[in-house]
Amino acid sequence: MFLSSTLDTLLALQDALDVAQDTGYFEGATTNTGVYPPINIFEKGGDLVLVAELPGIKKEDLQLQVKGNSVRLAGERVINYGENISYHRIERNSSKFDRTLKLPINVEADNVKAEYREGILVISLPRAEADKPRRIAIQ
Amino acid sequence: MNKKDKVVKKEKGQKVKKSEFSGEKTVAGKYYVPLTDIIETEKSLLVTMDMPGVKKDSINVKLEDSVLEVDGQIDHSPYNDLNPVYTEYNVGHFTRKFSVSNEIDTGNIDANLSDGVLTLTLPKAPEAEPRQIKVN
Repeated sequence: MFLSSTLDTLLALQDALDVAQDTGYFEGATTNTGVYPPINIFEKGGDLVLVAELPGIKKEDLQLQVKGNSVRLAGERVINYGENISYHRIERNSSKFDRTLKLPINVEADNVKAEYREGILVISLPRAEADKPRRIAIQ
Repeated sequence: MNKKDKVVKKEKGQKVKKSEFSGEKTVAGKYYVPLTDIIETEKSLLVTMDMPGVKKDSINVKLEDSVLEVDGQIDHSPYNDLNPVYTEYNVGHFTRKFSVSNEIDTGNIDANLSDGVLTLTLPKAPEAEPRQIKVN
């Protein structure tokens, strides 16, 4: 009894430390960690909606490919301030990126719509007809 | 630390990118600190901030007592009918403050928002510009 409650306390402490480390608390607030670009995936009526934060990217620098159940998002963010400048602070970075995500459903590639607005890319990925569940009549 | 631990660590770390604003705010909801570049040219200071998802009319730039405060509100309504299945970042408003020295011509600060990137141009005051002194 005593042991288990002690373990609980220690485990909670370990969790708290892990969480604190993951928030970048010990790395300074301006440090970037993780994948780029960050992506959220939502579900809407059986279809998927992929949302990515991509501020300051030109539409023509973005490349989107969909096949079966995978989505590939590639591109480049270019930051160019010109010449004869001095930096006081740099937190934003220009980088090439290339991410491929596996989705839990097959996508109807012909009906995929992508929209880039206010630095956010929204891709609607409708589920393939062949992939949809079918109701079977019981005889 | 064994290899497996490292992999788990990395996956956990991937979900964190934005740093949360630690001050107090009167508006409910999460606030994040926008990633910012500050560069200096001959004539002005340029402050560039990443604020994805913020529309032009919901951005507020305020200069008070030499403190430049930027506040960008996010419209959460498009997310209302969406059900998250996989997440790597959180959505919230943006806020950040800077102290501006008196070498800035505060009357002529210019703000421009495009593709989720806010650019503030802070022109240097004419008296603060370097002057070449001729040697006789």
